[in-house]
Amino acid sequence: MAYSRVHASVREYDVFARKARVEPLRQVGSVVAPDDDLAMAYARATYDEERWVEMMIVPRDAVIRLWGPGESES
Amino acid sequence: MRYAEWCIAAPSLEADIAAAAMGLDDIGHSRVLYGSLKELGAPDGATDQSGYANVAYLDRSWTDWSEFVAANAVLDSGFSLMIEALANGNVEVLRSRLKKMLQEERYHAMHGRSWMREAKADDAVAHAWRECLEWFGPENGDVDQLQREGKLAQGVLELRRLLEERIGGHAPDGGIDWSTWDPVRRRTAPGGIDKETLDMMQGLAEKRYMPTSG
Repeated sequence: MAYSRVHASVREYDVFARKARVEPLRQVGSVVAPDDDLAMAYARATYDEERWVEMMIVPRDAVIRLWGPGESES
Repeated sequence: MRYAEWCIAAPSLEADIAAAAMGLDDIGHSRVLYGSLKELGAPDGATDQSGYANVAYLDRSWTDWSEFVAANAVLDSGFSLMIEALANGNVEVLRSRLKKMLQEERYHAMHGRSWMREAKADDAVAHAWRECLEWFGPENGDVDQLQREGKLAQGVLELRRLLEERIGGHAPDGGIDWSTWDPVRRRTAPGGIDKETLDMMQGLAEKRYMPTSG
């Protein structure tokens, strides 16, 4: 894997958060960790500088991409 | 303080940041606890090494990441359990103030437990676990008395059981020699925090760098 700097096996997680209920969630960054527990601890430690009302992480490999920049929709 | 020492020495950048963040959390927790103690009429804090009631595990800087992991997984879990027992007890000032601390400590425990699965930390975990049991104290001691009075939601046996549950394992073999246990400092080992760290904690190290007033 690309990020196996310390751990034998890791996953990438995207971090999403919002400051107010009326705001949409937005991606604020990402973390790399061997499991969900450590990913949550890292996300909270790394992106805790703002007063978020909500924060969540999503394993990047769980995201299904329909198309990306420069790719055709169909 | 011990967490902060690892903020540029942990195995990965993420772990560096987590060490710094957890160190900051714990400084905040100390402030809340000292503030609460003052309100409850406790005397002022210690001024020398022998007055600090820290677990002996924190006396010296850790030289191996496994020691950090064990402190994080075991001592933070034990601390959280005691704070939880206080937050669910009948002392109002503690019931209202300790909730945020528990939310933050949840992430410390997650960090510790995950690293425990990765790092070979068995010896350090056993060491930290023994000291945590010393910190809880003996059965039918002050903690059980506070539990009977309703100030703590859990007694010693329940705290020990919950600690096993949180860490996922069993307490290390070998009993504790309670005859050498200091009921004020809640430890059996003599000694205390190293001088350099003590100077930093009391602001003496910072004073050396202050401009002299003329």
